[in-house]
Amino acid sequence: MNYDSIVYLISASILVSAFYIQGQRYIMSMIRGQLVQSVLIAVASFLLAYLESSTDLLILGLLILILRGVLITYMLETRMPSRKSYVFEEGVNVPYLFLVDLVFIVIAVFIIYSIIFSSLVPISQPGNSSTLLFPLLLFFQGLFLITSRRSTFTQIVGYVEEENGLVLLAIFLLPVPIIIEASVFLDVLALVVISSVITVEKATHERMEELRG
Amino acid sequence: MTPGTLISILLLLVPGIASIFYFRNIRMATVAAAALDEILSVLLFWIMPPQGFFFVDRTTDVFIFMITSIYLLSSIYSLRYISDRNATGLKQPTYYLLLNLFAVSMLFSAQINNYGLMWVGIEATTISSALLIMTEKSEESLEATWRYIIIVSAGVTFAFISIILIYYSFGTLTVSTILSAGRTNTLFVRVAVSIALIGFGTKVGVFPVHTWLPDAHSEAPSPVSAMFSGVLLPTALYVLYRIFQIDPITSLFIWFGTISIVAASLFLGYQARYKRMFAYSTMENMNLALIGIATMNPLGIVGALYLLISHSFSKAGAFYSSGSVLRSTGTKDVANVKGIAKKMPITSAALLMSSLGVSGTPPFGTFFGEILILYSMVLVNAVPEFIIVVIFLVFAFVGINLNVSRMIFGSPGDNSEPGRLMPAVSLVASIVPLAIGAFFMVVNNAIL
Repeated sequence: MNYDSIVYLISASILVSAFYIQGQRYIMSMIRGQLVQSVLIAVASFLLAYLESSTDLLILGLLILILRGVLITYMLETRMPSRKSYVFEEGVNVPYLFLVDLVFIVIAVFIIYSIIFSSLVPISQPGNSSTLLFPLLLFFQGLFLITSRRSTFTQIVGYVEEENGLVLLAIFLLPVPIIIEASVFLDVLALVVISSVITVEKATHERMEELRG
Repeated sequence: MTPGTLISILLLLVPGIASIFYFRNIRMATVAAAALDEILSVLLFWIMPPQGFFFVDRTTDVFIFMITSIYLLSSIYSLRYISDRNATGLKQPTYYLLLNLFAVSMLFSAQINNYGLMWVGIEATTISSALLIMTEKSEESLEATWRYIIIVSAGVTFAFISIILIYYSFGTLTVSTILSAGRTNTLFVRVAVSIALIGFGTKVGVFPVHTWLPDAHSEAPSPVSAMFSGVLLPTALYVLYRIFQIDPITSLFIWFGTISIVAASLFLGYQARYKRMFAYSTMENMNLALIGIATMNPLGIVGALYLLISHSFSKAGAFYSSGSVLRSTGTKDVANVKGIAKKMPITSAALLMSSLGVSGTPPFGTFFGEILILYSMVLVNAVPEFIIVVIFLVFAFVGINLNVSRMIFGSPGDNSEPGRLMPAVSLVASIVPLAIGAFFMVVNNAIL
């Protein structure tokens, strides 16, 4: 198997993990899906670090593994009480959402890719920008997960997935300086910590009369 | 290290040092830190740091002065407003700790000479301010906190694509290097600037990504609402301005600003709760400032700065007096607050002046800012947008002042002023825009 095939295989696996998360109603399965996704992105970073002999990508991979893979997963799992509403998200029509999701992300990604991303030159595969489709799909998949679900935990996972899409975009296109990337990771981690405070108080989000208009 | 660099560093360190007093009188330490930061921000007008780690010019100075001023007023106002009885969601020391971090994150975003770290700073403002919304821990404040976290984070994350594209185009993220390279008009840069409008626009209050704004402003405690409205949104606008400078897409920004003003004025018109009404007024003013900046005309930019600085004090005054009204009447509904003028004269005066200020009444500074922006719109041939904006500014003016008049005048109720400190801070904040207006008139007479 050549290098291109490995990149595509990892990218496709990341996308599968995103669709797996979208198809779940069990919160714990979503959190584990996010863990697998983060590990796969770390593997992509390690692979490119090896091929490009880049220390930055190596450090980036380690950061993804530690901060996204381990810390965020641990934090989400430990903050989850045993109440049913946290464990299982009720009132979710998974097949219907899947359909809407596919239509939404295919249209969004097609438009954005054809306008701008098709002419970018990624470091991972110069001359072939099609790998950039995967981060875009992941980004919009995360965005859709946030908008389509009402559970606090699911929306946090959606946010992390959206961020994963951007990390993958930076890995494939051009990694931004590691000091900035590290700051971004810490920001996201802090945001997840802050969000987890809300999870204890408020499991789901509905319309409220006081907040209308 | 130059004196200017030292001042910039101290601006960031001082609120942090105040947080060390977490276990012992952090309230007064916060006020002292805010006062010291205010002095440092004034010094920065004369002693600026050289370009390097920081990027500070005259525009930045104005934003830093705004941030430190509202930080100082809010920390003083909090002394009375935030008590153990009503701060059930956060402990008092935690409230002041987060208030300090919130100020630091804004000062960092405004001074730093790197687009990537600006993004980090803006995201840090969300982290430090989110929990402040749920200080009073009602069901609504929890929901508003969550909406703020998830909507703003999702939007600002989108802006990171813009940062990646800037890095891809220039090979650096240093603000001074990129801006000194001159205007760059490539497809990638244009897309980066457009994405920034939506991404950072989420925090500025650009339609349709503004939806967190009325919820967070109405449910946060008043001193925090004042910080949000008076300085958080302008800080996000400042970052957007720095990205816009790379490749100004004037027409796109002016149209987005115009549509947002229309939306804000319409929403504002039917608000039944006064804090939400002021939140939509913030959206209207921020987008007018966005238009001023987007004209890239010196008059428009100066107008935007006049508008922003006057608005920050006026809106802080509006939220402080709203806080006093809320403490006294226990309701956020306009319909349930009547005739407060007799029993709450200072709060009423502050509320009236603030509402006149935020709606751009002469001779408040906001009025002169608006005039300069509208004039610069004509100069760049944005005539259809100019007509639409003028119509909806009038609409917003009537909406705000009608509601505030209903609250102030009429048969007196049995409310009373909530002590002396809160009304006094409200009054000070609402008078400053008058001084700014007077300053504008004096300066222009001198020029003429």
